[in-house]
Amino acid sequence: MKRKTSTTVIMYVVLFFFLIIWLFPIVTAITKSLQVGGFSSYQSVITNPDVHYFRVVFNSLFIALVTAVVVVFITSLAGFAFSKMKFAGQNVIYVAMLACMAVPIASVTMPLFFTIKTFGLTNTYLGMIIPLVAFNALQMLLLWRNYFDGIPNEIIEAARVDGCSTWRIYLRILMPISTPMIATTGVLTFVYSWNEYLIPLLLIRDESKYTVTLASTYFMETRSQTPEMVAQEYAALILMTIPSIIVYLISQKWLQSGITAGAVKS
Amino acid sequence: MTASADSVSVGKATATGRRGEVSRTARQDRARVSKPGESMNSWQSKLRPYLFIAPLVILSGIFIYYCIGFTVATSFTDWDGISDEMDFIGLRNYAKLLTPGSVFWTALKNNIIFMVVTVVIQAGLGLLLAVILKERLRGSNVFKAIFFMPIAMAPVIIAAIFRIIMDPNVGAINEALRFLHLDFLAQSWLGDPKIALYSICAINIFEWMGFSMIIYYAGLMSISEDIYEAAKIDGCGFWNTLFRITIPNLSGTTNTLILLGIVGSLKTFDIVIQTTGGGPGRSTEFLNTYLYKAGVQQFNGGLSAAIGVMVLIIAVILSIVQVIVNNRANR
Repeated sequence: MKRKTSTTVIMYVVLFFFLIIWLFPIVTAITKSLQVGGFSSYQSVITNPDVHYFRVVFNSLFIALVTAVVVVFITSLAGFAFSKMKFAGQNVIYVAMLACMAVPIASVTMPLFFTIKTFGLTNTYLGMIIPLVAFNALQMLLLWRNYFDGIPNEIIEAARVDGCSTWRIYLRILMPISTPMIATTGVLTFVYSWNEYLIPLLLIRDESKYTVTLASTYFMETRSQTPEMVAQEYAALILMTIPSIIVYLISQKWLQSGITAGAVKS
Repeated sequence: MTASADSVSVGKATATGRRGEVSRTARQDRARVSKPGESMNSWQSKLRPYLFIAPLVILSGIFIYYCIGFTVATSFTDWDGISDEMDFIGLRNYAKLLTPGSVFWTALKNNIIFMVVTVVIQAGLGLLLAVILKERLRGSNVFKAIFFMPIAMAPVIIAAIFRIIMDPNVGAINEALRFLHLDFLAQSWLGDPKIALYSICAINIFEWMGFSMIIYYAGLMSISEDIYEAAKIDGCGFWNTLFRITIPNLSGTTNTLILLGIVGSLKTFDIVIQTTGGGPGRSTEFLNTYLYKAGVQQFNGGLSAAIGVMVLIIAVILSIVQVIVNNRANR
């Protein structure tokens, strides 16, 4: 389609207007963090004796990665069963699972805390991973089931004729052709788990188990308004965000496809 | 032995049709011949689907349903949230919750205002930017990537950045306004009960606008180019095309976004607890912050659970609507 030059100009004006708004917080944070003492604010965050930056990043990375792997595995298995198998109670179980899709973690704050405490899992990775898996799995189940519904039955039929067991069909045939879907659901779960705040807030007291979300509030505790403190707060927040930005730059495509797959079907 | 090697259903025809029955038996025979070592009785093949869903059902289903059951049960008690002691007090928590003028209604009202404001603005802005980005101007991928980026960042960290930016004294917004000699516009963005809720809306819009944008963008891509060509030939202008073709064709997408917006509003917690904590007063109290504070800070586990039950009722209704909308879109 041919466009008038004036239309193009208006479009660029709109785009740049919103670009400035969307870059404003990040640019402000970066410039303010450097305004007082340059990189010394960053240094003081990284060398904080209580909350070790690299430890915190590792914690988040580990938790998000394990959660993503577990969620992709269990939801692809279940999505396969719900889509391609027939069994008694199938629809009831499926609806019962998805009925919890919009349940906010916050609404079960008390039982979550109490149960994890009862099992002695407060201040542990496992204590965070279990609820993260539980709450992220439902949306991914929906995505996997929709995805398998679009896979022709002939593929499975052909494998069956060749004598493949159901497990082999899943592992050797369906998973290799589903790498884009694995990436999509994996990235989505990773990002959601990485960004989770309430679960670590409830379950973690031990600073060595802090996640980036919890650590960011640790540096915000100081209500002090001196320029030095503001610079350090900004520096901490930027440091806590850098891993997310790196992950985003690598996985942008999968994140976009995950978000759209959940909302629109082509 | 009525062995069935496949619990995998192979097309709708095979389940009922006669032809299907034949091919199924043939396949079973072949499967049996090719794998004599594996004993395939019907008991095992009937069990297989359950084995495939078991990890999910155990890790997710049972865990969540246990938490829900726990919430419902404790909502009828005076549990303090820590000890093992609790006494049944009937509907007293609910009575307290539903009293006219209670904090619950304030929180619900805030949730609804937040939902309407954010859904409308996010959808409007998202559509505007998606329509522009679809024109594939030079650099449009960069714009798209930047608008979408906040989704990858933790809401609690974005909220923390805004908490400093919106600070009345050291915040960059007021600094910028003073620099532009617009001092009268400078506000205590998160401290003024009249505007704090809208400041929280603004933070949410910053975080999630890209979500609407990317979904509208995908929706736009699925509208056939032929329709636009036809409209052009008929002499349709930009606005006519937008309101007569683009928006009506995206109605399904818009419905999805409204639904996800309601769900998102119900889940909102991080931004509020980080910026205002529900204050000043109760002016930015959300259902989730009220629930959290009642349970964790005020040791009123029973009341907290009763709020949880209210949220759960709304959430389950929303989930079911979401599945129905999804199924319709799939067809």
